[in-house]
Amino acid sequence: MKMSKSILVKLIALAVALVLAALAGVEFYNYRHTPETVVASSALTETHMLSEWVPSLKGTFGDTPVFFFDSGVEGGTMLYLGGTHPYEPATSMSAYVMLNNITVQKGRVIIIPQANRSATTLGMLGNAYPPYYKVETEWGTAQFKNGDRWANPLDSWPDPFTYMHYPSNLALTYQDIRNVNRCYPGRPDGSLIERVCFAIMEIIRNEDVDIAIDSHEAAVMYPVVETYVAHDRALDMAMMASMSLSADRFYMKCEASPKNLRGLSHREWGDYSDTLAVLMETPHTFTDWIVGPMTDDLQPVGQDEILKIAAEHGLTYVDYDYEFGTPLKYRVGRHLEGAKEVLSWANDMQLMWENKDIQVTWPSYNELMEKDCGYFLENPETADPSLVFEI
Amino acid sequence: MVFLQNVIHWIYMIFAAVSCFFLVKHLFKREKNKGIVNDIVYAYCIIPFLLRILQIK
Repeated sequence: MKMSKSILVKLIALAVALVLAALAGVEFYNYRHTPETVVASSALTETHMLSEWVPSLKGTFGDTPVFFFDSGVEGGTMLYLGGTHPYEPATSMSAYVMLNNITVQKGRVIIIPQANRSATTLGMLGNAYPPYYKVETEWGTAQFKNGDRWANPLDSWPDPFTYMHYPSNLALTYQDIRNVNRCYPGRPDGSLIERVCFAIMEIIRNEDVDIAIDSHEAAVMYPVVETYVAHDRALDMAMMASMSLSADRFYMKCEASPKNLRGLSHREWGDYSDTLAVLMETPHTFTDWIVGPMTDDLQPVGQDEILKIAAEHGLTYVDYDYEFGTPLKYRVGRHLEGAKEVLSWANDMQLMWENKDIQVTWPSYNELMEKDCGYFLENPETADPSLVFEI
Repeated sequence: MVFLQNVIHWIYMIFAAVSCFFLVKHLFKREKNKGIVNDIVYAYCIIPFLLRILQIK
């Protein structure tokens, strides 16, 4: 009798722990399983999944939609990548605005809005911040995920003690085995993110991608901010784009991709394919480690008093105006304009001479600054259902 | 390299299974620290393993 009472207490303890875990976990579960709903423009010609290039990704959170916009006119192919690091959401938002508004007059454009979909399913461990940010639209308030930098450990576990990049054997920090921008060129039988990276490389190689752009955001106190980072072959055109942007729109510098820093898109895309590889960075208050309260407004508005003090003492790598902040429309506008500018220079300096130029239209920096992101997002409820996607 | 990573992966999995086994064993059958507080701690520690076994992610 005494024994069974003891076991009953233990079972009750187990049941209570399970109930508490369920109460605590339901928010995490819902966050992981709630997709973002987006609308594509009527110029969409094909939709694929990343698993079509690496079948072992099928059914995993590494699988993600790949959108093709083919003009039907012979020309080159461009790839635009958002969501490499989902906690830098101007990247996926710029891909959504592009997806929803693009027209292609010549050549093809491929868009992957969430390159690391697994990393959209959680927030950064130990760094409490709001799970969502809001975008005001004409049809109401839409919310999108803040996400994480690395894939979810639930999808890729365990991490090694030291991540050895393949094939260079460069030793990197352990969690970077879940970082899309440290695992290129990837391998078909590797970890989840190595397979994601291999699939993206396969798209670049098999679809003859002429120019590939990887969008990112960077802390204002991080040196690689407001910049292009370009592979050797793309350096001239990125340099020209940075000068023309800085002359009449916004400050943008240009850096050469370091040869010994392995696993990053601007290095491995160029080394393991013939594409012109360019990475772009916007200023992003949200990822500055010194910022104060992680409020709902920090992501879309970017005003932070601690960073203001740092800027006054010259500790930031670019100007930081507290009154202006780093609003989402500014960062999305920078990415859209930055992508179009480097494409324009790539056309002029190389692609058009091989009849591989790409002619596209999507919202400009000035339009984003005037109308904000929500203006360019169509209501999924009223849109053509065949153009509505959950990512 | 991929083979070695797979070996390490399965060693981790085996360690996790052994840890789970001993947590369950100590919850229901232990010689020392028999108080309810320890029951609660053991029960709480078992939950992540239980969720993983049940494939609840």
